[in-house]
Amino acid sequence: MENTKDRPEEQEPHPSGEEPLLPTYSEDGEDLTLIRLMLSLTPIERLRTVQRRANSIQRLRNARKTV
Amino acid sequence: MPEKRFDFEAIVKILLRNNVDFIVVGGICAALHGSDTPTQDMDIVQSRDPDNLKRLENALSELGAYYREHTNKRLIPKAERMTTGGHHLLNTAFGPVDVLGAIANQRDYPALLPHTIEIELEEDVRFRTLDLSTLILTKQETGREKDRRMLPILLRIQEEIERR
Repeated sequence: MENTKDRPEEQEPHPSGEEPLLPTYSEDGEDLTLIRLMLSLTPIERLRTVQRRANSIQRLRNARKTV
Repeated sequence: MPEKRFDFEAIVKILLRNNVDFIVVGGICAALHGSDTPTQDMDIVQSRDPDNLKRLENALSELGAYYREHTNKRLIPKAERMTTGGHHLLNTAFGPVDVLGAIANQRDYPALLPHTIEIELEEDVRFRTLDLSTLILTKQETGREKDRRMLPILLRIQEEIERR
């Protein structure tokens, strides 16, 4: 199934009603808003964010095994 | 020893407490630079100086490290086996740790050290990780699928930093 999130329709107005100042996606489909969000943190805050996600994923994987 | 959740900070603190010279590479390095891709292990390149390897052996012992490839026996990493560019894939009480003698085009600790930045975990707790350009270079050189997958986001991070 085509992922339309990666290919926003350029002709459509932005859903917020206002055009963002910076592009939302790179040409290869990376979400630049997530990159900017991470860059707004300190390196250690970035790492803790990723570590929390990794631990959450691990908890989900472990949970699935018990079903 | 029961395995705990992945705890990067606990691993780093034990390495530093044992005065181990190492560089953080791989997914943790990418996260420090802004990648939001979760990683399940910690990759380090160790200094292969004999004294450092002894300190590393002590730190790994404190971490309860053993080779995770050997499921039928518990092999403990020894200093004398970490003198080459080989990769030691270990499990520890705080999650998997890969001790890499060299990465990419045989880039070892002395070759990588000038291309690192210092990260302050907390006051007086500092470690070194690759700078973003070198991380990208090593990912390009390695050429494995998992490294290639990470490249677009690293390149976009670099562009975003340059744009600022």
